[in-house]
Amino acid sequence: MRLSRTVPAALALALLSTSFSTPAARAADSGPIKIALITDMSGVYAALAGPGAAEAVKMAVEDFGGKVLNRPIVVDVVDHRNQGPIANAKAREEFDNGAELALDMTNSATALAVAEVAKERHKLAIVTGGATSALTGAACNKYTYHYAYDTYALAHSTGSYIAGAGGKTWYGIVPDYAFGAQMLSDFTDAVEAKGGKFIKADKMPLGTTDFSSYMIAAKNAHPDVLGLLNAGADTVNSMKAAKQFQLDKQMKIAVGLLFLSDVDALPDVFAGSRITTSWYWNEDKAARAWADRYAARMHGLRPTDIQAADYSATWQWLSAVKAAGTVDADAVVKYLDGRQFNDFYAHDGQWRARDHRVTHDMYVVDVLPKEEVKEPHAWFKILQTIPGARAFRPESQSTCKKDW
Amino acid sequence: MLRVVNFAHGAMYMLGAFATYYGAQLFHVPFFAALIIAPLAVGAFGILLETTLLRRLYGLDPIYNLLLTFALVLVIEDVMRLLAGPLGSPYSTPDALGGITNLGFTLYPTYKLFVIVVSLVVCLAAWWIVELTPVGARIRAATENPVLVRALGIDVRRLVTGTFGVGVALAALAGVLAAPTTNVQPSMGDSVIIYTFAIVVIGGLGSIVGSIAAGFALGLLQTIGAIVFPPISTTLIFIVMVIVIVFRPAGLFGKPESAR
Amino acid sequence: MTQRIGPVALILAVVGLALPWLVYPVVAIDLACFALFAVSLDLLFGFVGLLSFGQALFWGGGGYLAAITLARTHVDAGIAIVIGIVYAMLLAAIVGAIAVRRAGIYFAMITLGVAQIQYFSAFQLTDITGGENGLNLHSRGTLFGFALENDRLYYYVALVLIALAVWFAVRLVRSPFGGVLRAMRENETRTIALGYRVNRYKLAVFTIAGGLAGLAGALYAIGNHLAGLEMVDWHTSGAVVMMTVLGGVGTIFGPIVGAGLFESLDYFVSKMGAFDFFGVHIPSIGEETNMVMGFVFALCVLLFRRGIVGEILARVGKRPGSG
Repeated sequence: MRLSRTVPAALALALLSTSFSTPAARAADSGPIKIALITDMSGVYAALAGPGAAEAVKMAVEDFGGKVLNRPIVVDVVDHRNQGPIANAKAREEFDNGAELALDMTNSATALAVAEVAKERHKLAIVTGGATSALTGAACNKYTYHYAYDTYALAHSTGSYIAGAGGKTWYGIVPDYAFGAQMLSDFTDAVEAKGGKFIKADKMPLGTTDFSSYMIAAKNAHPDVLGLLNAGADTVNSMKAAKQFQLDKQMKIAVGLLFLSDVDALPDVFAGSRITTSWYWNEDKAARAWADRYAARMHGLRPTDIQAADYSATWQWLSAVKAAGTVDADAVVKYLDGRQFNDFYAHDGQWRARDHRVTHDMYVVDVLPKEEVKEPHAWFKILQTIPGARAFRPESQSTCKKDW
Repeated sequence: MLRVVNFAHGAMYMLGAFATYYGAQLFHVPFFAALIIAPLAVGAFGILLETTLLRRLYGLDPIYNLLLTFALVLVIEDVMRLLAGPLGSPYSTPDALGGITNLGFTLYPTYKLFVIVVSLVVCLAAWWIVELTPVGARIRAATENPVLVRALGIDVRRLVTGTFGVGVALAALAGVLAAPTTNVQPSMGDSVIIYTFAIVVIGGLGSIVGSIAAGFALGLLQTIGAIVFPPISTTLIFIVMVIVIVFRPAGLFGKPESAR
Repeated sequence: MTQRIGPVALILAVVGLALPWLVYPVVAIDLACFALFAVSLDLLFGFVGLLSFGQALFWGGGGYLAAITLARTHVDAGIAIVIGIVYAMLLAAIVGAIAVRRAGIYFAMITLGVAQIQYFSAFQLTDITGGENGLNLHSRGTLFGFALENDRLYYYVALVLIALAVWFAVRLVRSPFGGVLRAMRENETRTIALGYRVNRYKLAVFTIAGGLAGLAGALYAIGNHLAGLEMVDWHTSGAVVMMTVLGGVGTIFGPIVGAGLFESLDYFVSKMGAFDFFGVHIPSIGEETNMVMGFVFALCVLLFRRGIVGEILARVGKRPGSG
């Protein structure tokens, strides 16, 4: 306040029109309860979360009655543009402006950044979009839950299912950065536990677009399984190359990370790959019923597992706030820790207290070729349901240094 | 050649790929026709940019052209992102070029062989035109002494515009060739442009032979590097570039006078 | 001399002091850091005529080194910042020794090339930098024993350091040293003939500019609790060139205005939701801020090459950059 007296009068006028007090104080006990959906609204992940996630969260709020603790619920949709610093600054701004929950955080860099802010501001963050298992490992904290999937669960579900079904020898195509290294180590553990092994894992330099020499090497190595332990454009390009060399006719192709929206965009490219997903819109009646409502609002699109997880997480958080009688993050965490739940998204769900991993069933699926797809967007065929206890890193192996 | 460093070259490459994709989607233009049509269309767009915008800056430090084309990259990429979405679009290999060819010592995808042949032909043609034909002689003369060439009654402006257009068309051709192997997406030019610069600088600005030789040599070097010591293969090209600039500022094949 | 920069400096000082009350404090921190970053580029481009297209090398280098120091040790944030600056200056001295002998496009390409080497290193040395996940800091630590967690407090601390750095830059270009630089720009051959070792002057400026960018980057990384790949990306190098040219090359204060304009444009455009533009429905252009920036910048290069402040100075009849 004192500052304004030292600046010229004109500026003081300008200052007067803005709020002086920290806005957080304003939203303490009355007024709306704010949820900040921090996601990629227009970049490469916009299709798997983005506007669809915003719609899903709004649906959850409506279904909940639009109110909790007699206060209206509002949703702020924030675009993090896939950049850590932006996610960080926006999360701070949201929390300081009264947001009680930060949700989604598609892409690991933004998820890790927001997790730090949540810890510092003592507000809750529920990550659905980010993949890195560091969120419940080295970077775990009291105020961050990891809700949908992680690199460990993807690798262990896909890896152990395929190795268990006879895919013993693997050839890895691995991007040479943090995500790739994490995937390779998790996949190797899973495959070796089932008596299989990686005969070779080629590390792709950053920005590799020509995968042909690696595909020739993979073809000549005659593995049972080709593991494309990459994501995004790398997966597209390597999958294209694999098909060009007809590797898909010779071996099984396992893909590290793939979403329904990716297949929507490039059905021919991904047909024949085997992946793990945390949810599939056609997995059962309840899932389908929700997906139908979603489709009606989203021009016929089917939701990805991340969008469903955003709905589910919103609903579960609102229920916890209602039960705890407060939005206070400490009280909500106390209520959630160890709690078991079920909804259309999470089967056998549990808010694990040890490392704040939310565990639930995961699904190993095949991406069907076009001619076997019976209706629009029905790309997947579920091969096996992996119970949460087996899919996710066991509590006993947790690397989270719990300090709360 | 023109002392115009075109940051937007990568964007032209991307536009070439998109022209191929949309040509096929909207007008059922087959791949082989796209090889001609897309470069022509994008080349025309390049000429439009040159005559309306870039030309205004020729009297100034070439740095300003660099800056303007940098701005163009941002605009063109985002416009494409708005139109086509960030994820990209698939374009499949033409049937005639699918499959694998047995080269005796190794298997190689037919399409890749096709790309290599086309690139070689185009590079040779470019070299032949610039070094051995009258038009090429004029272009070379115009870059070295525009005033004198103009005095000889040659329209330097048109020459420059034409050369720029051809350069852009070649970038677009590269984009067409890349369409079936990569995902056609708005930021695809980003990843190639910096490498392209490095290659041109290593080969020597204004030296076509240099660029071709450097391009192939570095491609080879990078592949070998990726096998021998993967972590360094991405940085290798820049290390080579720095070394070349230190010891041969005009590039391996460039004429030493043009330091600025 | 002082009365000429007086008004500009005063306005900037007032805006600088009021900023964290006008915009969200973290945004103010970013803005101030980018302002200094742009000044570092202007020192080089505006006063020596060398356009660095890899200035993110020093910005990101300083940021990463400061963040790594804070993440791995429990030293004072001041020490982390100093380490960031020293690293940036060392890099600048080494790169500069190679680069200042070249001019124009070649200089731009060398700086870009070296910056790319650092980018790929940061991407791949995941144990040290966190790779694509970035390096997150649990806290900003303390400066001389004071905790820096309060955003506004941190802003003012950073502002003092940045103001000192800008003041230093202004002193530098107005000193006899700056006089030599101007002589070099106007006629390099004559300056050499007069017995000045031109390359040494260039190297000195390059190193100082590297240090300033390193300081800006360190403050930015600590302010954001995060050193990420964006900091070493070539787009960042491009962005700072845009800020500098937009504000006015060779005016020192211009780039500050440019950075402010650029960042606020970015901030507001990214907040814009869907809208209708002459009947055409434009979905959110959150990620399309580049389009707006690129357009503004293209206009600037084509029509207002002196930049905003340069143009204003020219209009009021004072030659920009003439000390």
